[in-house]
Amino acid sequence: MLRILPRPRTVAQTAAAERHFRWTPYLFLLPYLLFFVTFRLGPAVAGLGVSFTNWAVVGQPQWVGLANYEAMFRDPRLLTALRNTLFFTALTVPLLVVLGLALAIFLNQPRRGRTLGRVAVFTPYVMMSTAVGVVWTWLLEKDYGLINVYLGKLGIPNVPWLTDERAAMYAIVLATVWWTVGYGMVLFLAGLQDIPEELYEAARIDGASSWGLFRYITLPLLAPTTFLVILLAIINSFQVFDQVYVMTSGGPGSATLTLVQYIYVTAFQFFKMGYGAAIAGLLFALLIIFALVQTRAYRRGLKGASA
Amino acid sequence: MKSRAGQILWYIMLVIIVVLALAPIAWMVSTALKPESEIATIEIHWIPRTITLENFQAVFEKFPILRWMLNSVVVAVLATLLTVFLDSLAGYALARMEFWGRNLIFAVILSMLFIPLQITVVPLFLAFSKLGLTDNYLALILPIGANVTGVFLMRQFFLGIPYELEDAARVDGASAVRIWWAIILPLARPALSAVAIITFLSAWNSFFWPLIVTQSDAARTLPVGIAQFMTLRPGLSMSVQLYGQSMAGAVIAALPPIIVFLLLQRQFIQGISLTGIKGA
Repeated sequence: MLRILPRPRTVAQTAAAERHFRWTPYLFLLPYLLFFVTFRLGPAVAGLGVSFTNWAVVGQPQWVGLANYEAMFRDPRLLTALRNTLFFTALTVPLLVVLGLALAIFLNQPRRGRTLGRVAVFTPYVMMSTAVGVVWTWLLEKDYGLINVYLGKLGIPNVPWLTDERAAMYAIVLATVWWTVGYGMVLFLAGLQDIPEELYEAARIDGASSWGLFRYITLPLLAPTTFLVILLAIINSFQVFDQVYVMTSGGPGSATLTLVQYIYVTAFQFFKMGYGAAIAGLLFALLIIFALVQTRAYRRGLKGASA
Repeated sequence: MKSRAGQILWYIMLVIIVVLALAPIAWMVSTALKPESEIATIEIHWIPRTITLENFQAVFEKFPILRWMLNSVVVAVLATLLTVFLDSLAGYALARMEFWGRNLIFAVILSMLFIPLQITVVPLFLAFSKLGLTDNYLALILPIGANVTGVFLMRQFFLGIPYELEDAARVDGASAVRIWWAIILPLARPALSAVAIITFLSAWNSFFWPLIVTQSDAARTLPVGIAQFMTLRPGLSMSVQLYGQSMAGAVIAALPPIIVFLLLQRQFIQGISLTGIKGA
């Protein structure tokens, strides 16, 4: 799927490449690698290290082995945060993928106004997360919020979206889908441009229906894009924080407490750095597992399709 | 499908999509321009009866919003310049030079895509506080230089540039730096602008790290400042007057990127869809 390896070079090109000094490539890489090691790779490794300690910012870290990881099993708030994060992901990812694909296919038709449609759907995505959170807090306000006022006109009683334990997570999902669905749509639109039009023409001559075209041409050929959209949506959903912080701060109670929200509270409000890092370690493990499962399912799907 | 009915259905669907996508933004602007009396009502006026700037005035008086904006601009601009510089150098080496350990280095860089930012945040915060550099532009800018997407994009783009020009320049005795600067970079303008747009947008909108590492308005960026509109509230019930002000704040924070996007639509969408690692 990906072009990972450089294209093969001719003998003359290779010879030319070998003529210049051997240390040149490392000099080109050095500035970036300094930043990469200092601010990404190093801290990632150190983060795992901190998760084996008790460290309260002031004072010395204390090695505690796996104690922080063991403590998770006895921490009801962690289990709540985990459950909420999985629930959020399970709702958001399918919505983003299905809506993103539907919008892309709809706005890929050669008709007037499609650019307007694409631009409109993508516009929310360039807004900053906290502004999105502020706007949706107002839209979902209980008494005067636009959504409840319109629901009221339909005879539906006011829903306390952000203050009801059962409704709050749906409110966050709604705001998130509105905010980010344009990103998936753009990726799907790019994927659609790579499908040769001749395939559709040939299938149409053979009498294929619209559904048949979608099912047997669009969907299989779009599989790499779909894989990517799902993967990115999962990674982002697992790390949901900004909207939650602004709209509910994890509440009411702990109804919208997510893993990253809990990391924030643990490490940067209660200054339990070790435990905070351990929760980040858990998040990392979850992401890896999901990415592996998805990659495997994808590979199996490819094999199934070619068999 | 090109029938009359199909055409009408298309326009109906298109209008619904556009309205749903833009209504929250329109409502934000509308509320920001309303006086208090028109906000606390269940009558819906999309266009305010009386248009007032009092919410904007109040926001500018109560919050150091210009300072936040200045901080955001400085951080986003410097982070973008830094990133474009670092990534175009590294991407060039990774795409077009042969050296020992290249594939390993590239694999290690890529693997960081899967590592959540949160795991790096605790040690970074500890390090910056030990150095007394929290609440400082450096703490906001430097970590962005380590981003992975930009390097990946630059490398992918450089792979596709033909070798003839480069080889000709080398035969003429041009140095590697000169080839990079005078031949490769001018050809890579689409990729450079894609990386610049993505970096600027994510630096401008970045929230989690700035929230942690800034403590005062001296370094606080716009997203962190805007979040205060909501978190300063007593409990969850917020006086409706404050909604007018927080919408004014949201307009100030959200409109610049929206305007830039509308002006540079094509580059924007191209840049964003490049992050979708196009299949080849």
